[in-house]
Amino acid sequence: MSKTDVMTPRLEKLDPALRAGAAIRTPRGLALGTPARWVKRGGISKLLFLLPLLFVFGAFSWYPIVRLVLMSLQHTNLVQPATWVGFSNFSAVIHDPLFPIAVRNTAEFAGLALIFGYPIPLIAAVLMSEVRRRRGLYSALAYLPVVIPPVVAVLLWKTFYDAAPNGVFNTVIGWVGISPQPWIQAQHSALPSLVLESTWANAGATVIIYLAALTGVNRELYEAAAVDGAGLWKKVWHVTLPQIRTVMLITMILQIIGTAQVFIEPYLFTQGGPANATLTVMLLIYDYAFGNSLGGDYGKAAALSLMLVAFLAVFSLIYLRATRSWSTH
Amino acid sequence: MTFRERGRSMRLNIKEKTFIRRGAAVAAVALLAVGAGTASNAAASKAPTVTINVAALIPGSTKAAVAEFNKQIAEFEQQNPTIKVNGVQYDWTGPTFAAELAAGTLPDVFTVPFTDGRSLGEAGQLANLTSYVKQLPYYKEFNPAVIAEGIDGKGQIIAIPTAAYAQALQYNRQLFSQAGLNPNDPPKTWAQVEADAKQITQKTGKTGFSEMGANDNTAGWILTTLDYAFGGRMETGVGTKAKANFDNPQAVQALQMLKTMRWTDNDMGSNFGLSWGTSNQAFAAGQIGMFISGSDVYTNMVQADNINPSIYGLAPIPLANNKNAGVLGGGTLAAVKPTATPAQIAAAMKWITFFYMSPLVNKQQAIRNAQTLVANKQPVGVPELPVFNEKQYQVAQSWIAPFINVPLKQLAPFNSGIFKEKVIPEPEAATQAVYGDLDSVVEDVLTDPGANITSLLQQANSVGQTSITSANSGS
Amino acid sequence: MSTFPLRRRQRRADGGQQALVLESDWRRPSVRWGLGTAHTVLLVLLVIIGLGPILWLAKSAITPTQDTLANPLAIFPHGIDWSNITTAWNQVDVGLYLWNTIVLAFGSLVAQIVIATTGAYALSVLRPKYGNVIMAALLTTLFVPSVVLLVPLYIEVVHPPLIHHSFVNSYWAIWLPEAASAFNVVLMKRFFDNLPREIFEAARIDGCGPVRLFVSIVLPMSKPILGVVSIFAVLASWKDYLWPLLILGNTSLQPLSVRLPAIAAQTDLGVFLAAMLIACFVPIVGFLVFQRAFMRGTGLSGALKG
Repeated sequence: MSKTDVMTPRLEKLDPALRAGAAIRTPRGLALGTPARWVKRGGISKLLFLLPLLFVFGAFSWYPIVRLVLMSLQHTNLVQPATWVGFSNFSAVIHDPLFPIAVRNTAEFAGLALIFGYPIPLIAAVLMSEVRRRRGLYSALAYLPVVIPPVVAVLLWKTFYDAAPNGVFNTVIGWVGISPQPWIQAQHSALPSLVLESTWANAGATVIIYLAALTGVNRELYEAAAVDGAGLWKKVWHVTLPQIRTVMLITMILQIIGTAQVFIEPYLFTQGGPANATLTVMLLIYDYAFGNSLGGDYGKAAALSLMLVAFLAVFSLIYLRATRSWSTH
Repeated sequence: MTFRERGRSMRLNIKEKTFIRRGAAVAAVALLAVGAGTASNAAASKAPTVTINVAALIPGSTKAAVAEFNKQIAEFEQQNPTIKVNGVQYDWTGPTFAAELAAGTLPDVFTVPFTDGRSLGEAGQLANLTSYVKQLPYYKEFNPAVIAEGIDGKGQIIAIPTAAYAQALQYNRQLFSQAGLNPNDPPKTWAQVEADAKQITQKTGKTGFSEMGANDNTAGWILTTLDYAFGGRMETGVGTKAKANFDNPQAVQALQMLKTMRWTDNDMGSNFGLSWGTSNQAFAAGQIGMFISGSDVYTNMVQADNINPSIYGLAPIPLANNKNAGVLGGGTLAAVKPTATPAQIAAAMKWITFFYMSPLVNKQQAIRNAQTLVANKQPVGVPELPVFNEKQYQVAQSWIAPFINVPLKQLAPFNSGIFKEKVIPEPEAATQAVYGDLDSVVEDVLTDPGANITSLLQQANSVGQTSITSANSGS
Repeated sequence: MSTFPLRRRQRRADGGQQALVLESDWRRPSVRWGLGTAHTVLLVLLVIIGLGPILWLAKSAITPTQDTLANPLAIFPHGIDWSNITTAWNQVDVGLYLWNTIVLAFGSLVAQIVIATTGAYALSVLRPKYGNVIMAALLTTLFVPSVVLLVPLYIEVVHPPLIHHSFVNSYWAIWLPEAASAFNVVLMKRFFDNLPREIFEAARIDGCGPVRLFVSIVLPMSKPILGVVSIFAVLASWKDYLWPLLILGNTSLQPLSVRLPAIAAQTDLGVFLAAMLIACFVPIVGFLVFQRAFMRGTGLSGALKG
């Protein structure tokens, strides 16, 4: 890691009394030893500094993870005490007729998002990296949809998706002679409509990540390729893409993991409808836990959550293994 | 998400119930006597103070409404010096109610819709009020179908109905005129509804008939309404013997009708995700010719959607020529937390009587509340079902006659016709879950021209049976 | 990719040219026209796709609702109507929800900074013996998507294990879980790892205790990374929806993201669009002002995940 970081601190700003000084051996690596020695070595202050982190992570990260596993094996509805039910929650989830629908929809969402949303940021970033003037304008425009709160984006697009002939999108496609579409009002077009909005809202961040990665491509490789007589396309294909392939693989897995957890779009656009065409796994978890006014089935929600985590973990491992040879650096 | 907006109708009932009154003259006199007796008792004894938290107004209420509510608390405390009342902001929506129930943060007195009353009671979530309710002087005057909503499987009274409504056919008088239909002669049969819808779309281009299709239990709720209107029932049996009956022939009939209107006549518009609130919104904006919802939605249209009163028309739901055909009813219940002490329950009952019931049975209270409603620009006289009986309803209308600001003549078809129709309670077991299981059937018919109605209903039926069974096994 | 800043300096040195398309390439007419056109097309597309929806929102927020409903793409057929915005502010009470959003964002920012800096400082500078264990525990949480913890976290807030008091409707239930971000800690720790150790040793010689070291030396040197973490903390909090929805049942405590969908059915379309515009205003302005930090931070996050 480079030490000549652009974030090198300005020494002048430091307290002058603390600036000077010779090197000194710091007592690292000694065993903790007796409590007295531990205290003497500043063990208490180390612990004190770690206490906020330990408390917050313990309470809101580690404990919930353990609790999740436990809850998936219990029957909880918060009004009566929890009872142990073994794997019946998992069984109930798997046998729920909505489960295969949710899995299929989530896979479809992730797949469509990959098809629409993966190549576009890449192409845009490669083009943008060669812009000579006002590159900031390009990146700002690309990133703008990302800063819009997802709730606003979804509600705005909900207006766009009005299926009446004078709805915003229907008017626009009317200009090129396409008849009005039902968008989120029909089962075959609801999920793609959601993917379209999701891509709009998220692609900008990926563009910026690619742009940052593109600046790290070794210049000499381009020169070598030019010497070999490669034109622009060849340079992109043989130099640019391979050089940023690590980042490309990372963004792909991140996108898959992200879209597998999609909730806001199906919840705010269609609430899983029409006829469960946009029901995703996260929405199903929400319905199990919070969809019943008489009290939710938190055990089933926890079981499905655990299944989702397990699936993503296994998927990530397989993915990383499979692409390891591709991303050696 | 579940019934959030229907809960809003219920909330507005409460808000309104604060001020609307009907009541039998006899019951009013009796209640005044009881009230006087209570006051003298309270003055005589030096009992320790009991404190209760009660559901107050919904968040976002105007300052004037809040001030009025606090005045009522002060009046109650004056009549009952040993009781201290704290108003707590309250708003029934499916998920938040479940959260508050679980967290134990509900006020001591709160309200729930009819759909949840019995289930909560059977799960031990509501205090047993039987002995207190039986002591009420007007106990015998309760409409049996309405009080039944607050009685659990063991015959215990666990909640008191404070408001009731019936489903009704809402229609836009202006669109009727523009289409060449007589706005004073709304359709009386479903065949007429279909014909009128077609005409409205042909002549005005607007939606002729709109059906709620949102995936938040409202689609299933309206489908059940249609089913009842054709003479079917979504459930048979009660309690642990309840069984799903989704694939009854009348449900098939209703869905056939919807399919024809949607795909053949094409007069159902282009938005099939409307829910309770958004239907009201679209109707008030003049986009819908007819749709089905509760008889009390006018309040929401005035308060939230800025409706032009002259377009509003209300008719009873057309009923098929079937002896089982009836109108789906609904309403609001007041209940008490099961963890309340006996002293608190007694205090809670006094509050419920004072706040929810006396405007129904006491002329003075009723008039005073109507005046406040008018002053706050809220509608007075919105059609509802009597919690007691028709005679009392007429008496109550006569009391508030000077204050009524809803277009009564336009509501005449409903007001005169509703009493000829049988009001039927909602499906008894796992009501909300049953509605939720029916949502996708409606959505499928409205969005897929090739939908196979019978198989859809059969599939939904097995899901519904699972919901009923798991609700009954106390999960 | 930590070579990112290094490359930037290099690029500036050679006139900002990437090596993919050389200066000589640009002189060839086929490249100039081809690539130039591609860039223009890209810019037009970016304006329409990236900026278009927001411009429509701004336009519709000041257009009477009737016009928006009848003819959504017309531009001010009957003139401008500012009343949507004033109604949104006064009657829909957007101001209150905006304030709630700000309070939530600020508290979240403070919580995240406190946890990330103290934790990373301890792990990177103070280096306790058990530091590696903690680091491993932190890294495992990176693999658990936060959404799946929703249910157990919810139960925990509603029924905390030892305390008999529910934290529903408390802002602490929003701030503290957000502070449990392993990503922030790892980011900070990497930054602290890069700080020159000589300064710390010098300070220690002068008798500087760990607290003084933290406050007077480490923190001032960390301004850039603090800036990045702050911006993303505020943005993440502004965009948060599901967790505040579950926890904040009391509507007067809710932020904009939770309140807006809830009032959609009761609010006139024009007023609603005006409220949405107000909700976007702070993130957009913040983005324009802190653009560099956003871009740098996004690039960093991509590098980190690699």
